[in-house]
Amino acid sequence: MATVLLVEDDPAARQGLELALRRLGYGVHAAETGEAALRDVRDAAADVVVLDVMLPGLDGFEVCRQLHRGSDIPVIMLTARGDDLDIVAGLEAGADDYVVKPVEPRVLDARIRAVIRRTARTGSPAETYGELMIDRGSLIVRRAGQDILLTPTELRLLLVLSGSPRQVFSREQLLDLVWEHDYLGDSRLVDACVQRLRAKIETDTSEPRYIQTVRGFGYRFGPV
Amino acid sequence: MRTRLVIAFIIVALLSALASSWFHTLIGAYRLPGWLDDVIVGPGWLQGLVHTAPGQAAPHPVRHTALLFFGVAAGLLLAIITTFAIAASRPVLLPVRRLARAAQRMSGGDLSVRIQPRGRDELAQLVTSFNGMASALEDKMGALQQMEARARQFAGDVSHELRTPLTAMTAVVGILHEHPGLTGDAAAAAGLVQQEVQHLNRLVEDLIEISRFDAGTAQLVTDETDVANAVGQCLRTRGWSNVGTDVPAGLTARLDRRRFDVVLANLVGNALRHGGLPVTVKAGIQADDQGDEQLAMEVRDHGVGLRPAAIPYVFDRFYKADTARARSDGSGLGLAIAWENARLHGGHIQAGNHPDGGAVFTVSLPLNTMAASGPGTHSAASASRSADAAGP
Repeated sequence: MATVLLVEDDPAARQGLELALRRLGYGVHAAETGEAALRDVRDAAADVVVLDVMLPGLDGFEVCRQLHRGSDIPVIMLTARGDDLDIVAGLEAGADDYVVKPVEPRVLDARIRAVIRRTARTGSPAETYGELMIDRGSLIVRRAGQDILLTPTELRLLLVLSGSPRQVFSREQLLDLVWEHDYLGDSRLVDACVQRLRAKIETDTSEPRYIQTVRGFGYRFGPV
Repeated sequence: MRTRLVIAFIIVALLSALASSWFHTLIGAYRLPGWLDDVIVGPGWLQGLVHTAPGQAAPHPVRHTALLFFGVAAGLLLAIITTFAIAASRPVLLPVRRLARAAQRMSGGDLSVRIQPRGRDELAQLVTSFNGMASALEDKMGALQQMEARARQFAGDVSHELRTPLTAMTAVVGILHEHPGLTGDAAAAAGLVQQEVQHLNRLVEDLIEISRFDAGTAQLVTDETDVANAVGQCLRTRGWSNVGTDVPAGLTARLDRRRFDVVLANLVGNALRHGGLPVTVKAGIQADDQGDEQLAMEVRDHGVGLRPAAIPYVFDRFYKADTARARSDGSGLGLAIAWENARLHGGHIQAGNHPDGGAVFTVSLPLNTMAASGPGTHSAASASRSADAAGP
């Protein structure tokens, strides 16, 4: 079973979430601060980070940014406020998903499972679109021969879109296919992830070649 | 002010005297006996012009010229008097007009309006008093608004603070409830705790949602939405299979999907809890007062309907139409939240009773809430309540 690195400063909330996650069958490594989380992330061999936004010292956004500097570990933000500003900032910092406190254990469970599932491999040959090489088998993406480090969510989004080139996906469809959210999921997740993906794979993000916007409908891959 | 008027009056009187003495000299020089009779009965030359019978004497040239002079002089005098009258009234009328404009702006809600007083007369005093009243009103309103903002901020803060302890409780209450060792009273108590934790969660969630509207931070994220699809999904996910729908296929509108779902779920939930079956949802296109096409959605139940006295208040927070009902499953904020969400879309909700019985809630939303700027449009709008929206 997967191991969760839980970062939460409030002792009661930390203890409660740890209890619930253990009961769901996860291994849990709890950290009180962002600094502790950054220090422990390797030793804990965590598969996913559940990260509170409001932390003393380094806040959740900064921790998320630093975590993604050298690793592709998925991050689920735990926001106490659920305020739009918090959510947007979390997504900009690179969070793969978010839940709003107080979260039902089964909701947290579903999100963790969905995030982990995104790392699943499929056995198909590598495809090349323009300068972009996508290897679905080994989950490697290269641009002009250079490896690109993508988080599982970014990778999954790219795989879904490039799986049907030229087909327009609505944000609702992408939420379902990539995030496994119900139909009322937050479409900002999609927009934020598209921005991050573009920043990594496009040469000019103002004129995207691979991930194109279809106004009023959604996104599509190519035509390259 | 009075001095100016007196001066103007003296000038006009002096001028009149001058003019009349000038006339006297003018007319006297031509020695026209009985000219006045001519003017009254009609001068002979005029009669001559009308009856151009041959042999009649031509009008006297001297009399002719004198009358022309008289006309020009009278006209001039009139012009001079009018000019003086206008000049004399300007200092009075201008400040009055400025005052009227300022009062108009103030009644339009602009309490920052002030007028520069000029001079020391009664009008200047009036202007000073007006300014004093305006600043007193502005201070009072500012203080009131600050108090209200603090109260709202407090409600929002309290709700946020409640979330942290609720997080721990929500996480573990299931463990307690599902514990096989608990039987009898202990199991019932655990069940009650779980149920109430859920209720508290809903309440806090709704309080935070409504405080977002109050703070003006609620955001609209619109998408092209198939209405039949959205209505169907809203009812399906909540297991409301007993709700009838009448929504034409292919009806689309630019809506915030989540907020539209909140509006519909709150109205249908309210109908199911407080109204009578069957509950129906109907949607279509309707023209509003300006002739713009709108999405009109009607949620109707077949219960006893709303008490007419309750209709203006159904969208108020924590309003309970039936005072005997101590409590329901809802937070008491559902209709208020639905109302705010409709408003955020630029639409509104009306409550009323159907002529054939049962309550009817009608949601009107613009078909195109915001211009598209991408796959989705984000926009913030402040939403303050006005009293006119909850009418029948």
